Amino acid sequence: MRQRRGVRAIRIAKRVATHAILILTCIFALFPIYFMVVASLSTLPVAAITAHILVPRPSSLTLSSYHSILLDQNPSFLAELTNSLIFACSAAAIGLALAAFTGFALSKFNFPGRRTFVYFILLISLFPSFVMILPFYLMFAKLGLIDTYIGLIIPYSAGAVVFSGILVKNFMDSIPDDIEEAALVDGMTRTQAFFSVLIPLCLPVLGLAAFLAFVGPYTDYAFAHVFIDSNNLFTLALGLYQINSANGAGAQDYGLVCAFALVMSLPIVAFYMLFQRYIIGGLTLGAVRG
Amino acid sequence: MTGIRVEHLTKRFKEQVAVEDVSAEIRDGEFVVILGASGSGKTTILRMIAGLEVQTSGHVYIGDMLVDDYEPRDRNIAMVFQTYALYPHLSVRKNIGFGLKVRHVERAEIDRRVNAVAEQLGISETLDRRPAELSGGQRQRVALGRAIVRDPEAFLLDEPLSNLDAKIRSSARIELKRIHQQLGQTFVFVTHDQTEAMTLGDRLAVMNHGRLLQYDTPERILSHPLNRYVAAFVGSPEMVFLEGSVESTAGGGYSFLSGDVRIPVRGAGTAGPVTVGLRPWDIQVAKTAEPGSTPARVIGVERLGSSDQLFLETTPAAPGAGGLPPVPLSLRALVRSYDFEVGNSVFLGFDADRALFFASDGSRIESLSAPARLG
Repeated sequence: MRQRRGVRAIRIAKRVATHAILILTCIFALFPIYFMVVASLSTLPVAAITAHILVPRPSSLTLSSYHSILLDQNPSFLAELTNSLIFACSAAAIGLALAAFTGFALSKFNFPGRRTFVYFILLISLFPSFVMILPFYLMFAKLGLIDTYIGLIIPYSAGAVVFSGILVKNFMDSIPDDIEEAALVDGMTRTQAFFSVLIPLCLPVLGLAAFLAFVGPYTDYAFAHVFIDSNNLFTLALGLYQINSANGAGAQDYGLVCAFALVMSLPIVAFYMLFQRYIIGGLTLGAVRG
Repeated sequence: MTGIRVEHLTKRFKEQVAVEDVSAEIRDGEFVVILGASGSGKTTILRMIAGLEVQTSGHVYIGDMLVDDYEPRDRNIAMVFQTYALYPHLSVRKNIGFGLKVRHVERAEIDRRVNAVAEQLGISETLDRRPAELSGGQRQRVALGRAIVRDPEAFLLDEPLSNLDAKIRSSARIELKRIHQQLGQTFVFVTHDQTEAMTLGDRLAVMNHGRLLQYDTPERILSHPLNRYVAAFVGSPEMVFLEGSVESTAGGGYSFLSGDVRIPVRGAGTAGPVTVGLRPWDIQVAKTAEPGSTPARVIGVERLGSSDQLFLETTPAAPGAGGLPPVPLSLRALVRSYDFEVGNSVFLGFDADRALFFASDGSRIESLSAPARLG
């Protein structure tokens, strides 16, 4: 009896420890967001915000920062949001379509040099994307693509193809060839089988790839900064930088910056919630197969 | 309804030969089983008939049509895969109707045929479920239904029963045979399980290392194996082989000798080393000595249910040739009674009429066998 009680105590202690660790991790993850929310609702200098971060004085809270970013900016927040969505959605769509075909070819077709090609793509994906900025810039300058939508959509899509292609290939490798062959015997061409059997089975990994292909361009600063000059092509990432630097060194308006960042992140949250089912499936890729 | 013919079919994967010069004809409405161990090339043949694998050389005919250049979808055959290969994202109804939908059959007609097949296979109540929610037996039926509903020229089945529990496997076997009889269509069935092969096949094609060793009825393959591999592979419990030699006897005839086992040879004999093959049920076990019987000891008993398999070791009385110590031989016998225990002394009798003789290269020496045999 006593022994059993001991076992129980250990089990409870384990639970408490597990929960303590999880709660601590959550605080680490959520505190910056909390800080941003509080700061975005305040117009005080950053020292004053920090001093009262845990118990903000209600009298100091205001929506004026939000008012300001949504209405008073030039270029307007809405215009920047539109541009960012155009870039990110185009890159996600184009990159994903190409990645699906790439993955299909690399996983289900036998052709000479296939392995070499896979290693080559893996090698490319090891380089940080900004090492490509200069070559892209020089090429696109010659082609007259600098400061255009196309000029930025191409490198964004290319980046998506590289990592998503491998992601899709690995996932397709886990789908037995039998299933595609059954479709061929049932009367399909390989292309038909790809669209009506393999693509539906790949939805989890395609969801994950779409999410990553969207978030990358949406939050990109480096490429946009180099490739874009005109105000009417400004993206949110450029707008955020502009606000941050506009106030002059040392006197940044943290309320404005945080409000901007929070509103900017809403589409990502929305995108994530939309594809959550698939993204989580993609992240646990290979763990459990139904 | 159509027969299938393959001519000099060969398949090499790089240097590896998977199928070597196989020619065979499958008659219209016949149930042919391709039997072989893993790596024997049996599945590769099936896949070449289906068009999923392109042969290195040789030809495939379905009916009178040469289909070498046809895609799988144009061959109008149906295939049941070992893994069933159901479409996981589709309901059972859509899985079965898939091939019809691809061929632009009208919706109402698809529904009618899917329902009819589901009824026939007893899976009507599962039609709106996904494959993941089905039992192994149900999945196997869905895979079969997907084939039947298309009314193809022929059915190709790649070990469709091997993923089933032993219990339902035998009922699935009977079910499959019944379906074949109902449809009257050509079935080609690949398996490594000789029980499946014997019970299902009108004819068996026994394969090893890519070669077709024998293509005949189950009865003929059991009674007249062309070589030692076929003799060993087919028949359960496995055939007993004794290495020895044919020697001339005092009476002017010939006898097979191995240790103190002596089997008179009826056919035209020539002296030399041979292997004799005996079915365990053709070895008589008695408790009392009879003329010509060989003394032995029971060293193990395996209760198979309807009969016992005895593991035996001969107990030679005389020393071996040239004063060498006697060599006991190990063999097995199948008996219907349960009279024998480990340690019993017994006497073995060998039926010369039923013994098969094999040369050192494994081929059967027909001339040594007694002429009058079953089949």
